[in-house]
Amino acid sequence: MKRQPFFYWFTVPAVVLALAFLASMGAIIQYSFRKHIPGSLDVGPVTLENFERLAHPLYFSVYLDTLLLSLYTSVFTLVLGYPLAYVMVRARSRWIKSTVLIVSIVPLFTGEIVRTYAWLNVLGHNGFINSLLLGTGLLDRPLQMMFTPFGVTVALVHFSMPIMVVILAAAISHIDTDYEKAAASLSANPIKVFWKVTLPLSTPGIVSGFVTIFAWTLSAFATPQLIGGGKVNMVSNIVYQLGFASFNFPFAAVLSLLAVMLTIVLLLVIYASTRRLEKMSLH
Amino acid sequence: MRTIWFACALALATVFAGQPAVAAGEKLIISAWGGSWKEMVAKSAAKRFTEETGVEVEIISGGTIDRLNKAKLAKGDPESDLTLTTSHVGWLYQNDGLFETLDYSRIPNAKNIFPEAKISPGHVGVWSYVYTIGYNPNLVPDDVKFESWEDLWNPKLKGMIALPDFDPSHIITVAAILSGGSAENWEVGQDKLMALKPNIKAFYTNDASSQQMMASGESPVQVLLSGNAFHQMDQGVPIKLVIPKEGAIVGIDAIGIMKGTKHLDWAYQFINAALDPESQAFVTEFKKLGPMNPATKVDPAIAALPGVFTTAQQWSEDALIIDHKLRAEKLGEWKQWFAENMIGQ
Repeated sequence: MKRQPFFYWFTVPAVVLALAFLASMGAIIQYSFRKHIPGSLDVGPVTLENFERLAHPLYFSVYLDTLLLSLYTSVFTLVLGYPLAYVMVRARSRWIKSTVLIVSIVPLFTGEIVRTYAWLNVLGHNGFINSLLLGTGLLDRPLQMMFTPFGVTVALVHFSMPIMVVILAAAISHIDTDYEKAAASLSANPIKVFWKVTLPLSTPGIVSGFVTIFAWTLSAFATPQLIGGGKVNMVSNIVYQLGFASFNFPFAAVLSLLAVMLTIVLLLVIYASTRRLEKMSLH
Repeated sequence: MRTIWFACALALATVFAGQPAVAAGEKLIISAWGGSWKEMVAKSAAKRFTEETGVEVEIISGGTIDRLNKAKLAKGDPESDLTLTTSHVGWLYQNDGLFETLDYSRIPNAKNIFPEAKISPGHVGVWSYVYTIGYNPNLVPDDVKFESWEDLWNPKLKGMIALPDFDPSHIITVAAILSGGSAENWEVGQDKLMALKPNIKAFYTNDASSQQMMASGESPVQVLLSGNAFHQMDQGVPIKLVIPKEGAIVGIDAIGIMKGTKHLDWAYQFINAALDPESQAFVTEFKKLGPMNPATKVDPAIAALPGVFTTAQQWSEDALIIDHKLRAEKLGEWKQWFAENMIGQ
């Protein structure tokens, strides 16, 4: 096919965006090497002081917690989202399909803050779960779910679910059902068909969904901020607390830079390992 | 006939002589917080200013830090003519050369304001509030009393207290004072602060989460903004607000004229309108804030509320003021120590 120079113009928005992102990245790098001047918005001379501060154990634990929460969120979202996506694509009843679609996608339209506040009412001391457990006599004192990694993970899983379901549904809908029929005709039971055919063929969707949710959770802010209550902190919360709430932009820039580098490295590792997984599943 | 026309022209000239000429579309722009704060400014100072001058006011809103950053980027050609912000953040504007130096001879209503209102050469306080101890008496052991800040350290309050995560100035200063120091040598209070950790349940991010934690009983004791407590009391949440014997930490919101404004006269008139006793009375009524003009007639029921300072005596006896400039300079250091030792551990 002959290349049409005209179509190169369509890359202009992408190039403009890339330049804007590069400029922002340049600003972050520049800030990270500058000295913070207390009581001023201006930054001082070049220094490595901001990087030395990273040696404090708090930062290691926050980055580790961020990785773990992202991992838990990705895994649970995948495990809970797959059946929803499967039913949404494969159910014969249009009513069931529509119901699952609405249940899965509608939360996407409510925004992160609204959904997080809803979880405050569910997980809180006098929230829905505790009221139910106390009311039925199963507990005699409220369960502590707020300000815990459990509470934050639950809210993050709910927040990420619509995206995971959409990605998985797209992957499952692309699977040619003839392969499943062929397996069934060769006397494989439905569980075996799913395990040996459907699941491996949906690997591209599983990988995309996992990577997307992992990367997206790494930068979560409002959910850990509100549900975590300062007891569960992710990188964005520390950047906010130390940078924007105390005007120390240079140190906030160092924390952000480290988070970006960590994300890039992790995504490369995940990408490399999942490519191998995809190849294996296609053989 | 000519005499009649002349008389009409003279009458019109007399009517409009008192008003400055306002070009079409010209207005005074104020930078302030959104929500109910914006509504309060619109219904008090802005309303009065427009009545007096015929000039419309536009209020552009945003968060404290967002507005600060925007002002810095627009230095010399400001987006707004005046900025309303918190006293210590105002010092960041001042230190960065973003505020005009105020000429108090152009603000007649500032003649008798409380001396505490004069924050810096560039910004003047317009209302006050306090950060103090608020608690739900139904959820706190009966024998726990709050007469001093020291009472927050009572072991019976284990896992009950919530503090703001966005500004540790209050508790850091209190711990320093209880340890025999002050905000300046705050380090003396570090051990005291560490000893408070078992009692801390969580840290709240904003007014909404403070209210949510109090209403749900999640943290029945808080160091909180007086206005938030009053708002919740109105909604039926059982809260008691106390002024400890050492005093409550005062917060003052202040206004400054942006350097480079093209409406300097109007800006002064607006500050004068903000400090007018009637505007100030509206503010005390609307959010139960303290006036900065002692001539303000405050409803006795509101004046009796803890943290609503209406007299010089209250300012000297009940108010604990952290030097605003020091606070602006120390906040980064405080915040970092607090995050590394109190929040993140």
